[in-house]
Order: sequence, then C-alpha cells, then structure tokens
Amino acid sequence: MKKTGYLHDMRYLLHDTGPYHPEMPERLIAIHNGIKDGGLLEHLTIIPAARAELKWIETIHDKGYIRRFEEICLSGHSIFEDQDNGICMESYETAFLAVGGILDTIDMMMEGKIDNAFCAVRPPGHHAEVNKAMGFCYFNNVAIAARYLQMKWGIKRVGIIDFDVHHGNGTQHIFEGDPTVFYYSIHEHPSFAYPGTGREFETGAMEGKGFTKNSPVLPGQGDDIYKMLITNDLLPSFEQFEPEIVIVSSGFDAHEDDEMADINVTTECFSWIMETIMQLGEKYAKGRVISVLEGGYCIPRLPELAKNHVSILMSA
Amino acid sequence: MFVSNSMVRKVITINKDSSIFEAHEKMTANKIRHLPVVDAKNKLIGIVTDRDIRSAMPFSLLRGGANDEENAKKAEEKVKIAGLTVKDIMTPDPITISPMYTIQDALLMIQREKVGAFPVVDSDGTLTGILSVRDLLRAFVNVLGINEPGTLVGILVEEKIGQLKKIVDAITEEHISFGSVLVARHWEPNKRAVFTYLLTNNVMRVKKKLKALGYTLLDPMDWYLDQLPKSDSK
Repeated sequence: MKKTGYLHDMRYLLHDTGPYHPEMPERLIAIHNGIKDGGLLEHLTIIPAARAELKWIETIHDKGYIRRFEEICLSGHSIFEDQDNGICMESYETAFLAVGGILDTIDMMMEGKIDNAFCAVRPPGHHAEVNKAMGFCYFNNVAIAARYLQMKWGIKRVGIIDFDVHHGNGTQHIFEGDPTVFYYSIHEHPSFAYPGTGREFETGAMEGKGFTKNSPVLPGQGDDIYKMLITNDLLPSFEQFEPEIVIVSSGFDAHEDDEMADINVTTECFSWIMETIMQLGEKYAKGRVISVLEGGYCIPRLPELAKNHVSILMSA
Repeated sequence: MFVSNSMVRKVITINKDSSIFEAHEKMTANKIRHLPVVDAKNKLIGIVTDRDIRSAMPFSLLRGGANDEENAKKAEEKVKIAGLTVKDIMTPDPITISPMYTIQDALLMIQREKVGAFPVVDSDGTLTGILSVRDLLRAFVNVLGINEPGTLVGILVEEKIGQLKKIVDAITEEHISFGSVLVARHWEPNKRAVFTYLLTNNVMRVKKKLKALGYTLLDPMDWYLDQLPKSDSK
C-alpha cells in the first residue's frame, strides 16, 4: 500500500461564498465523510493547512491583484470582480491556507515521507488568471504548485491533468508559452460550458506550442467518450512529454448527477480516470501524483467519489 | 452597429501605376488579400485582389524551369508580366459601402455580391476604410459575446408574445449578465429556441428556476445527433 497524504483542515470551511452558491463548505464535509466512513483515515497521513509565503503566490499572480483581493475581503465585500466570485472576510486567508497546504504536501512528497496525496482544499484554483479571479477561483493552486516544484525542488517537467468539467483557462494561459509544463484538460465543450475556452485548436503558444492539449466533450456524452479521448489524447501526450511529477486538477462535476454541467460520467468512470492517471504516474513520475480539488457540486455523490479517489491513490 | 465601428481605418493601398509584383509583395507582407487602388487625393479608383494577381502571374513562373530553353521562355514571360501594372488587372469602380452602413447591410451585401471585402468610401469618394469578411467575423464574435467566459443555456419557448421577457427577468433576478441572446425561429412547430449566453459559471440555480417556470431546457445533444453522422472514432 502506498503512503498517501491527505490535506485536510476545517479552516478550509471558512471561505463563505454566500447564499445559494454551489461552491459551498459542505462540499469538503461530504468529501471528508466519504473518506472517514470508508475507513481510510487511519491509513492516511493527514496534513494540516499552512499559510503560504507570499513569494510563492507571486510566482504566478500579480502583486496588485493579490493586494486587491486582500483589500476587498477585509473591506467586507461579498463579491470579488465578478458575480461568480463570492467572498467573505476570511476568503483571502483561506486562499493562502489552500496554497500553503499544497506546498507543504509537495515538500512531504519530495522528502519521501509520502508517495502521493489528495489535497481537499477550498477555494479551487484552475480558473484563476494571473491578475483576475474567475469562476469561484482566486489563486491558481495548481499553477503555483507546478512553479514551486520547479523552483524549490528542481523538477524540470511537470504534467498537469485537469478532469474538472470546466476548462482550466487560468492554468492553460499561465503555462501556454512554457514547454516545461504540459497542461492536459478534458471538459465539456466550450461552446456550451463555462468558461468558453479549451477548444481543440488551443495547443500552446510560442515555445510552448504542443505542450497544451484539450479534449472538449459535447454535452450529454459520458464514459465512452471520456475513455476514448483520455486514451487517444492524454496517453500519447504524456508518453512524449515524460512528466517527472503529475499534478491533477480533480473536479467531480462531470458526474452524471452533477447539475453544474451536462456531462454524464459515472462514478465507475471517475475511478477509471484516476486509475489511468496513477498508471501514468507510475510509468513516468515514480508514482509522484498530487491531486488537488477543483469543482464537484453534487453533495450526495461526493463522499463515494472522494473515497474511491483516495483509495486509488493508496493502492496505486 | 455601423461599419465605421468595425472597419479597418489604416488601409494599405496601392497606386494604379505600381507593378503587380509590388502589389503581390504588399499583400504578402501585410497578410491581406485586397488592395484598394487610389489616386493622389486618396480617391478610390479600383481594387486589386490576390486572385487578380494569381491569374496574371502563373505560379509555375516562380519556379525554375526544367532546362535552359524553358528558363529563357520563362524569363521572357516574366519581363512581360513585369510590365503589367495594377491598372491592367484591377477591378475598376468596385462595389463600395459607406461608413454609415450597418453591419447587417454589410453581411447581406457580402452574401449577395460574393466578394471578400468592401472598400469604405465617404460621400465624395474618398477611401476611409476597408471591411473584410475577417472584420465581419470579429464583429460577429463580439456580438455573440464568446470572447468572455460564460455558459450557453438553450430554452424552448412557445411562439407567443412576452416569453423572452420572462426569461430575461428570471435570469436577471439571479444577477447574471448576458453575453448574448439569440432566438432561432421555427425550431419546432410553433416553438422558438432561445439561446442565452450567460456570463457566469453558476447556472445551476437559474436552470432550476427556468424549469420551475415551465420551460424546457434544450439538450444540445438532441439536435447534435440529428445533424451529424454517427461516428465512434475521432
């Protein structure tokens, strides 16, 4: 059995997005209950949140943007930049805790204390751009993690796999000119779903051309298309790129019961996706896979999805 | 929306006495296909397109010949072509539009005239801009709002007055901004399809609300499957 880290902290519940917002604290409670009731907790290395150093967030985000975010939270506003981005006084600190927890988790993995990890953080990150909050995201957790791995741990090639039902525009834009980070995303087709990017012809820019790969999926599709696209698009890309570390933007909103989008992936297929990712991790990255929570809004389905996800990390 | 909002104002033009090689170079260097031809006072007298040039300058000439005899022939022909000027190949008095035309006018005219671009001239014939298919596409992308992040929600509605208002009200109550609203008529007998492009990631509640109001949300797959041949491979 693998030593799997589990970034878990009640302080991640403090980020309050306001009434009727789907990105709610209950998501993390459901995820934790699934892991606990599945009897997995005792086998996991629980990692508490920690506050990130500002300098790591500044590797990705503009200083002015970070300050704007801080000021608007402290001033008691309930929205940052767009109606989608509900905030409270604690949102800024919670976002720092999300990044810091992930960076600590990376350290533990690189020091050999754990083999892989699941980071159950809020707020999510993959829509966050260098200087813009978008789609419930403020700091791009995964992008900061990739840079941290490169700058602190000397990792040369980072592979990011994003299976959230929405395209990770932030992550793609941050790395689209960078051949050292490969971004792969499978998501609902951008003509129908937020944020309207992630089309097949978006494949990177300049030196990064060929280091971004998108698999848009039409509404109503499910397991078959997901399995086909992951097999045909992701596997060959990673075979060529040979990532030394795999970071996963794990969103569970492509689930058939999740009403945020129109994709019908089953619980079983989510397991297949994660098992496939773990095989890639074993093959190229010495099993070093770090999964970071993005979306997933169907509270009744999250416990089982999280339990399966973590079980697969543990048994990889 | 007027042509003056979408046209290119810094027009690259050419003189009627320029050689066609010069015209060719100008197009290649600027990645354009249409060169308005103007006189010294910037009055439009014609237009030359990449197609005019291609017809006048056979591609085979640009390649080397198989033998000396062929090369000599080609050289001779090149000299002849080098003598050609823009006025020899241009379309004189091309179809123009005024800056006060609407984008809709331009769309319909491009469809009717089957040209790739219109020179834009003011009332005394002075060239003030050019509007190409590319510019129209940009304007159309803008109208659709798809440069901004959002979600498409399709709604089936009865063909009667007041439906759109209810939909817009329901969405506005959720504090959601619109990227665009498109109405497709005759979607089904007596039904229209309303496509709202909503500038938000958060459509869960508004979808529920629309359903509660009695609307059918369009499943894009219904028409996707009707229109595309079935295929299992990518």
